[in-house]
Amino acid sequence: MSKPMNHEESVYDRTMFGFWVYLMTDLLMFAVLFAVYAVLNNSTAGGPTGRELFSPTAALTGTLLLLTSSFTCGLAMIAVRKGNKNQVLFWLTTTYIFGLAFLSLELIEFTKLIHEGHAPSSNAFMSSFFILVGTHGLHILIGLLWMVIIMAYVVSRGLTSNMMRKLALLSMYWHFLDIVWVFIFTIVYLRAFV
Amino acid sequence: MSKSSHQATVGSYVSGFILSIIFTIIPYYVVVNKNISGNQLLAIIIGFAIVQVFIQVFFFLHLGRGPKPLYNVAFFSATLCAILLVVGGSLFIMSHLHYNMDSLETAKQLAESEAISQVEGNKTGACQAIKVNHKIAIMHTQISPTITEARQCDTLSFINSDSVNLKINFGTPTKSETYAGQTELSMRKGLSDTITLNQTGTYHFYDPTNLSSTGSFNVQP
Amino acid sequence: MRELLVGNLTWESLPHEWSTIGGTLTFILLGIFAVIVITRMKRWKWLWNDWLTSVDPKKIGIMYFIVATFMLLRGGLDVIMIWLQQSLSAGTSHGFLSADHFQQIFTAHGNIMVFFVAMGFIFGLINFIVPLQIGARDLASPFLNTLGFWLYVAGVIMVNTFFLFGGKYAATGWLGIAPLSGTQFSPGVGVDYMIWALQISGIGTTLGAINFIVTILKMRAPGMKLRMMPLFTWGSLCSMVMAVTVFPLLTATLFLLFFDRYIGTHFFTTTLGGNAMMYTNLIWMWGHPEVYILMLPAFGIFSEVVSTYSRKSIASYWSAVFGMIGVSFFALSVWLHHFFTMGAGGDVNAFFGLMTMVIAIPTSVLVFNWIATMYRGRIKFSTPMLWFLGFVGTFAIGGMTGVMLAQPPADFQLHNSLFLVAHFHTMVIGGVIWGIFAGISYWFPKMTGFRLNERIGRYAFWCWLVGFWMAFGPLYVLGLMGATRRLDHYDNLNWQPFFVVALFGGILIAIAVGLQLVQIAASFIQKRQLADNTGDPWDGRSLEWSTPSPAPFYNFVNIPKVTSRDAFLQMKNQGIPKPVYKDITMPKTISLGIYIAGLAFLLGFGFIWEITWLIVVSAIGIVVCIVLRTFDEETEYIISAAELEKMEKARTQKLLARLRHDDTYKDEDMGLREFYKSVLTWSQDFVKNKRWKTF
Repeated sequence: MSKPMNHEESVYDRTMFGFWVYLMTDLLMFAVLFAVYAVLNNSTAGGPTGRELFSPTAALTGTLLLLTSSFTCGLAMIAVRKGNKNQVLFWLTTTYIFGLAFLSLELIEFTKLIHEGHAPSSNAFMSSFFILVGTHGLHILIGLLWMVIIMAYVVSRGLTSNMMRKLALLSMYWHFLDIVWVFIFTIVYLRAFV
Repeated sequence: MSKSSHQATVGSYVSGFILSIIFTIIPYYVVVNKNISGNQLLAIIIGFAIVQVFIQVFFFLHLGRGPKPLYNVAFFSATLCAILLVVGGSLFIMSHLHYNMDSLETAKQLAESEAISQVEGNKTGACQAIKVNHKIAIMHTQISPTITEARQCDTLSFINSDSVNLKINFGTPTKSETYAGQTELSMRKGLSDTITLNQTGTYHFYDPTNLSSTGSFNVQP
Repeated sequence: MRELLVGNLTWESLPHEWSTIGGTLTFILLGIFAVIVITRMKRWKWLWNDWLTSVDPKKIGIMYFIVATFMLLRGGLDVIMIWLQQSLSAGTSHGFLSADHFQQIFTAHGNIMVFFVAMGFIFGLINFIVPLQIGARDLASPFLNTLGFWLYVAGVIMVNTFFLFGGKYAATGWLGIAPLSGTQFSPGVGVDYMIWALQISGIGTTLGAINFIVTILKMRAPGMKLRMMPLFTWGSLCSMVMAVTVFPLLTATLFLLFFDRYIGTHFFTTTLGGNAMMYTNLIWMWGHPEVYILMLPAFGIFSEVVSTYSRKSIASYWSAVFGMIGVSFFALSVWLHHFFTMGAGGDVNAFFGLMTMVIAIPTSVLVFNWIATMYRGRIKFSTPMLWFLGFVGTFAIGGMTGVMLAQPPADFQLHNSLFLVAHFHTMVIGGVIWGIFAGISYWFPKMTGFRLNERIGRYAFWCWLVGFWMAFGPLYVLGLMGATRRLDHYDNLNWQPFFVVALFGGILIAIAVGLQLVQIAASFIQKRQLADNTGDPWDGRSLEWSTPSPAPFYNFVNIPKVTSRDAFLQMKNQGIPKPVYKDITMPKTISLGIYIAGLAFLLGFGFIWEITWLIVVSAIGIVVCIVLRTFDEETEYIISAAELEKMEKARTQKLLARLRHDDTYKDEDMGLREFYKSVLTWSQDFVKNKRWKTF
């Protein structure tokens, strides 16, 4: 162990590490959903496959939107370290807007599929698609909610060290969600056309 | 909060961003333009995905650049191994299960054993029409005839002409064989057991209780 | 209108059969009794502030023990019914339980014993002992600790709520294998109760595991490197790393089953592409490591117990550590041995069969290590050591039957037979449960300030050992004779004598558990005499023994500086430094843990009965509570150096006063006759003097 940390540093260190371990458990949960998708993605019971239902362009758009929001989240963290409250709020708002755009695209896709009669209850392929992508979407929704709450607290309490710690957790979470999306984009959307 | 523990610079985020865009666009174009196909394409897109994950983990999450001990990295590596186990293990197990339990192969095997000649347009190994039925009488001391000539898809009945239950094993006492998936047939007294001659070749059989009592049959195509 | 208000609940959901009425009444009466006692003793505030909202891992540990003991009795009641049914229901007789009821009983038995008894005791022990062993005052997140505990309690309540609402539990076996657990074949709410009880407590376990990992890796005393950690802490670390790896798998799988039942997806159904075999695959991916999660802390306990009672340090520290790490590593790659017969074929079965056999190697390394520790030690056969000796033989035999089962050809005969049932009970009872007993009797003085009654402890041990083999020995034989598990009736009358012997073994086990409760009561009665005045009753080697007994809520006045393994032994040899009083920061009590867990329970209940408003309100409530907690800045308080010194000096005064009187206590530990007399005298006094009025 390197030089001893003071109380605040050790709390920060522990919190970051603990949250990282939690992200690992989340990753494992996604792994199960990926495994289920891999096993069941051909079980369409005669229904349409991903090739017929997905649009690679829409998926690419969503991917780029989410990637951009992950990037702006990183810029927000740089502002946090500089202690610049207004920059932090600006970049977080940008992150939020791109994230919201991504989620909206996804919701539109889901609604369209269900309206056309391809619901989670149609067959095993649809079930695994909706639950895998839907769980990611739910995580994004929670992240967006978290962003709003944290921004409200930053406005009212300022950029205290506690707030900085919480922002670091949020940015870790947000980057993690983009990483999971890389795999969803590849295994679900791209692979359907292989 | 210690500022030295994270080398987060605008540069790292910008490079991560640009690299990620590249690693997203390339597999997209490869897939959409269908230059390559099949397993090669799958390997390429998964390869790009894995590299992009590492790009983001390094440039956005700065993994490996914190203070030692690097527990984060250890847990990340362990999680990756666990994911390989979960996903890889599941695919290994489920694909074998599918082959044994769900596949066209199994359906064909089951049909063949009931002499059904095709399933979903696929021919099984079963014979289309039964041709000739050959008979072999088995008694404890005697097998007659000892040699039988037959053609593929004929049937062969082993009739127990004795007053006790009898068995025959395929092969010779020193080397056992299998025919039609069975290594032995048992016949209750007065009854018989019939097999369909799907496999061509010469096969032997013997009475395990009387090793000098042997016979053979030759199946021509 | 009714559906809007109460979802699918109807008047028929309320108890209307002898079993559900009986079960509900029992809980209600117990609850009323508890409320009356607490009210008359005016202890509500104390209960709330000192215990329920406490974040002290020692208090949380004791609460885990209390709930787990309660569930042990509850699950034990299930077992007695199973034993009775199986002894009676042979040939033309059909016992007293219907097939469906019997299936619910063995399902509940499995869920309760694994999730709420074993996990409860293990988490209680880790909570109590690990911070003391590593020289920490608390866990990394006191909030997650209390939240994890209350989520566990929510699961406990959920698994018993079916008595009052619904009347039927799942009848699918403890893992709820699909498609039997799907809507088509289990249309009632029983499986939903199982899903939510396991899901809620599973999330609590995951949070707790994260907490323990961060604590062990980041909050050790200065100077305590990983290679100096006590072996119980190592076992806990390995176990919690495994927990953090596999509980997410359980969470995901249960959610998939829930979606199948709730929104009609087709993950594990029999039609439209569902693959029920995938459920078996996923659930055992969690299920097998789970039993090692239970076992590794027990291995840690035994390492400590053997070392202390042989008065020798462990024969080879690194063998113990790598043995435990090896077991955890391999445990993640063997899960298919639970379904060799499902049809994956020779290649797959061979791989997993080999991996299963390989686990025997690190396990044996551990066993030989312990035996080598005993060799040339000066062994004291106290109760914890007796539990260890019982464990070694029993676990070794059970392990060998495990290696037998690991051969796919043998498993094709023995899968789901009583042989299998006997095997896993041998491992869980002989290993986990006796490990827990060894740990509790070993660390009891540290937890309460007095040790346990040795005499009655010995009686309990022997009854357990003999009772266990009487109960499960016949099951090995029955399994080899072809008896399958989960039989509520059988035709082969040759089997009946074996089941009857098992029943008597079970009665002996029930007596043993009774004796353990008597042991605790007798120890309380004699607590002055059994008091541990030094804090180190067994001449221990690790840091927990450097604190007074019971340990103060702040654990240490000064966090010790550690320079070697067996840190306390080092301190005893080099001289224990005098305390230096400084301000210390302690976490405040937290009530949000209880509220969130309560809302989680309501959320689950809402899903089970499809009460939409309840689902929405609980979900929002949980989010609000989490936000309130995470943005709360006033979570700690400071004990000043002066206050600390005052508390320490007061304790010393009390101890000295007690020691002056202790010359009069030279009696032996009381036996059963003395206990009976003691209770009789007290009851007579209670009745004669109408002491209930003074409460």
